[in-house]
Amino acid sequence: MNDVSLMSGMQEIVVDEVFPHSPEIIWKALTSGELMARWVMEPTGFAPVEGTQFTFQTKPAGEWDGVIRCKVLEVIPNERFAYEWKSGHGGNVGYGSLLNTVVTFTLTKVEGGTRLRLVHSGFELPKNHTAFESMSEGWPEVIHNLVAGAAGEDPSKN
Amino acid sequence: MNDTNTINTVMRTLADPTRRGVFERIVQSKEITVSELTQGSGVTQGAISQHIKSLKQAGLIAERPEGRNVYYRAEPAGLAPLIDWLDYYAAFWQDRFANLRALLKEIDHE
Repeated sequence: MNDVSLMSGMQEIVVDEVFPHSPEIIWKALTSGELMARWVMEPTGFAPVEGTQFTFQTKPAGEWDGVIRCKVLEVIPNERFAYEWKSGHGGNVGYGSLLNTVVTFTLTKVEGGTRLRLVHSGFELPKNHTAFESMSEGWPEVIHNLVAGAAGEDPSKN
Repeated sequence: MNDTNTINTVMRTLADPTRRGVFERIVQSKEITVSELTQGSGVTQGAISQHIKSLKQAGLIAERPEGRNVYYRAEPAGLAPLIDWLDYYAAFWQDRFANLRALLKEIDHE
């Protein structure tokens, strides 16, 4: 557990999977702008160099222009890659609200491949969360399925 | 549109269990008519129509008239005020990891 998850009201997303590939090939997919475009989104101004600022263009919401502003924080070849991920606007609620987060990829060599762990940290629990959760059991599941469907569409293609 | 009003409207609209049930059935079907929604619901067609009206006003459903029928479908964008970044990006990254798996398979054979 790290400090971020201990802070009250802060949450993180973790996706942890083993891929049957070497850390070197996964590293290439994570840190090449051309390959990033093929599985995350197309970056503008990206270079795998600490301090580099780059952007992703997504669907705008309210006063937010849809631009995700990123900055490379850490580059340890074949081991660790982290960047800032800032977006949204204070005037928005839900999708498009202010976001100041960090995306960290950690690679570990395991038998038969590589474990890739993504931690997207720094989410503040939204104000509406409690009211929303108390609405009904099972209801968040319905929303989740809808969101999963919506997130499956590439917003940059809309 | 004012975001606070939007979220209140959506919350208020879905706070009614019957109306939420109607919405869930619309979500589960690709498209559905009022008479199909009424069947087995235990409420009158008039009541269903009232719920449809509220859901439409809240931007949660859209309609498509065809002949004498009107087909209703869910409008996922209407739920945007209830969707926080955490839910959004949890789905986003799972989806992107699936993309990555396919990409790695492709480039590792080159």
